[in-house]
Amino acid sequence: MKEMLPFKWARGAVASALIGAVALVGGVPTAVQADETCMSPYMAKIVGQEDFVYVWTLGVEGMGDEQDKLVTISVNPDADDYGEVVHIVSVGGRNEAHHSGLSDDRRFLWAGGLDSNKIFIFDVHSNPREPSLHKVITNFVDKTGGMVGPHTFYALPGRIMVSALSNNVDHGGRTGMAEYTSEGEFVAAHWFPTDDDLRGADKTGNFADGYGYDVRVLPRRNVMLTSSFTGWSNYMMDFGQMLSDPEAMKRFGNTMVVWDLHTRKPKKVFDVPGAPLEIRCAWSGTNNYCFTTTALTSKIWLIYEDKDGEWQADEVADIGDPSKVPLPVDISITADDQGLWVQTFMDGKTRYFDISDPHNPKQTYEHEIGSQVNMISQSWDGKRAYFTTSLLGSWDKTGKDDEQWFKLYHWNGKKLDHQFTIDFYQLKLGRAHQMRFGAYSLYSQAPNSSDTMLSQVEQ
Amino acid sequence: MIINMLKLYAWSLFLFFCCIFISSSTILLADDDGVDKEAVFGPGDRKHGYDKESYVTNSLSVTARKGKQADLLQFFNEIPLGLPKMKLPGGSTMTEEKISLGRRLFFDRRLSLNDTFSCAICHIPEQGFTNNELATALGFEGRSVKRNSPTIYNVGYYNVFFHDAREDSLEQQVWSPLLARNEMANPSIGYVINKIKRIKEYEGLFEAAFDGKGLTMETVGEALSSYQRTLNSANSRFDQWYYAKQEDALTEDEKAGFALFTGKGKCSACHLINEEYALFTDNLLHNTGHGYAVSMGIQPEKTRVQLAPGVFVNVDTEIIDSVRQSPKQNDVGLYTITQNPFDRWKFRTPILRNVALTAPYMHDGAFTNLRKVVEFYNQGGVPNELLSPLISPLNLTEQEIDQLVAFMLSLTGDNIEILVADGFAAPIGDIRTQDPNWAHDSEFKTE
Repeated sequence: MKEMLPFKWARGAVASALIGAVALVGGVPTAVQADETCMSPYMAKIVGQEDFVYVWTLGVEGMGDEQDKLVTISVNPDADDYGEVVHIVSVGGRNEAHHSGLSDDRRFLWAGGLDSNKIFIFDVHSNPREPSLHKVITNFVDKTGGMVGPHTFYALPGRIMVSALSNNVDHGGRTGMAEYTSEGEFVAAHWFPTDDDLRGADKTGNFADGYGYDVRVLPRRNVMLTSSFTGWSNYMMDFGQMLSDPEAMKRFGNTMVVWDLHTRKPKKVFDVPGAPLEIRCAWSGTNNYCFTTTALTSKIWLIYEDKDGEWQADEVADIGDPSKVPLPVDISITADDQGLWVQTFMDGKTRYFDISDPHNPKQTYEHEIGSQVNMISQSWDGKRAYFTTSLLGSWDKTGKDDEQWFKLYHWNGKKLDHQFTIDFYQLKLGRAHQMRFGAYSLYSQAPNSSDTMLSQVEQ
Repeated sequence: MIINMLKLYAWSLFLFFCCIFISSSTILLADDDGVDKEAVFGPGDRKHGYDKESYVTNSLSVTARKGKQADLLQFFNEIPLGLPKMKLPGGSTMTEEKISLGRRLFFDRRLSLNDTFSCAICHIPEQGFTNNELATALGFEGRSVKRNSPTIYNVGYYNVFFHDAREDSLEQQVWSPLLARNEMANPSIGYVINKIKRIKEYEGLFEAAFDGKGLTMETVGEALSSYQRTLNSANSRFDQWYYAKQEDALTEDEKAGFALFTGKGKCSACHLINEEYALFTDNLLHNTGHGYAVSMGIQPEKTRVQLAPGVFVNVDTEIIDSVRQSPKQNDVGLYTITQNPFDRWKFRTPILRNVALTAPYMHDGAFTNLRKVVEFYNQGGVPNELLSPLISPLNLTEQEIDQLVAFMLSLTGDNIEILVADGFAAPIGDIRTQDPNWAHDSEFKTE
């Protein structure tokens, strides 16, 4: 189950953990802190150097132990093992490892399998260098009443919101999101609005497909946003086969939903055609907007609150040449809301957009990271950007273009500077997917749950 | 009488729209049982008109998929008009207990290696007990299956099973998907038996259904077959017209379509109709040229790919190939089973009952609607050295093609709502904490 790699104990320069004081006004936090820029604002933040990156990795049939695993990489340059894989936890099966998310106190990392529907909860606080499997949730589908494909794990106070991608009746895209306690107890299922059951939402355009993908919040506006991708039958299908199947290509999401964060009720369904995926919300207290990108139609969309207090969705920029389907995948907003990194899977590029005018993003830089690229995680100060390759087990490129690696680049505001690469195939690990950061500082200063931001709020 | 005629007229209009999938302006109605009358016809994720920018969703929620258990045995004992009495294998009997057990097994996703695949995930009740959303099926871990999921309506009337006829018993057939690595991927027969033994819901059910015989390879096969042998659906408007002599059951165009089906169109040469009943199959395999064309075809340089409603691009096939995990699987049909070179590209004649509900068509789901199927046969299939002598150009006019399609739309049975609603009511077996799984047996906490 657990494999130890050569251990070189080296505690790096300790980052400072900032547990923010939170004041509640009508139940809405008015000041929040956060970690790397795509994380929940309800979370403790690493403001300095991270020590580890946890890579949720897909097992590959015929390679190594063939199963999914959490791979820990030492990334503190002061550590003796900087740039090395230092720990692996194999979890059994190829679950279609995909996304992961930390609990609000950052003590546990939740990682999901889009195929098996298992949720693996890792203890990352007892020893941040050596995460351990703490708990496995196997009954996600049964508990939720039929949701399939746990995707995003997003921390809310004392809660984890899990958005799903599919369902157990037809493996299509109609789905919902499930709410768990941070301890892993199921709380409630929230289905995405469909035409026959809009659940009080306003269908503002032509679409209410009930599809799901990502979930993010803007607590200061009491807003939760969800996006929409596709069901099991497509995300598990051979990508080339799917592109050639006209029926399958009709089964992609075209909607985003604005929710009331506190009541968990959908308020508005927007038309955002072409599979809107990742959602990244601005950090500044006056920037009431979030971005998404559409995977198929290659657009940046802005979801924003207008001067009348109404939420709107506008297409604001093209990504590359949409007619060539560059397939934008992961995105990452900078902490100052001035830049947006956009990965395009098909050409292996990362693209930097100046979003100082959010209604008019301009691409100012691009760099080819490899033959394919999917995920990006940047440090809070924006100086370090980590990249991985895998999109989905059946969608990654084949042959020599099927590179699978983890790369670190430094960003000086003008260009990316490559630091190191870890070849996941050479190490027989599998396909590298989502990354989350770990740091000793978080737990040396806040080792017990009674010291978390949430508990302070409650006290 | 007038009310009945109006109902009939409304029904015919409704079925017309069903075949090309549901109109976007449809209003949803539930009957007294809470069963959504329209949820039973086609995917709840309705995509009719998706090729146009004007597409408007008319989606149904998964949670509204409510059903009602039916007396399925009646559809075996009281065979619907237009079907013959069904033969059972020697010594076999049909009982409510066997049917109920088979139905539970059919919808149980735990009967796959990773607890994610039931029979019903490829044979979806509201999608004609096939999958309207995929040309070819997917199995365990998304592995590709090279053929379209066949409907299991009236499956008990086949003499041979699978598109290539590699099985001749339904009891044996059910084990192939359970064990195929690209379907449910169970590693062995014993693995399946032992797993079912450890699932609490099955305690005592096999013993009760099979006179104490218990859980064996044979009883699993017989239970699943028993359920499938109740999915008999006929007494369609065609049957009412042809066998019950209700002159007004078909429209004039549909009657003209029937004349073409049995005459100029030569369809009934393989899709048989006789004086007592109509199976619409000869239970034989034929080379229509479609399989040959797919095997020998040259790929186009560009593939038209839809990105959103009304949004298409032409993508270089080379780009699509760069993300194709494995080459498209070739399919030589019956030859694969017999190794007889004269059997190349022969596939089983499908039963056409309920064909309005079972798109896409052909063994590989290549044709998205019935008109394309008729157009294919109208051109005489695809010539090849082994083309069936029953296939030749038909010289049908556009109107005649429409009439043939109209006739096929009249073949939908009158008990579809009951059978699908029964499927909705069936328990879906998803893994729970008391079920067998390594995570439940280990030192780790599980939920």
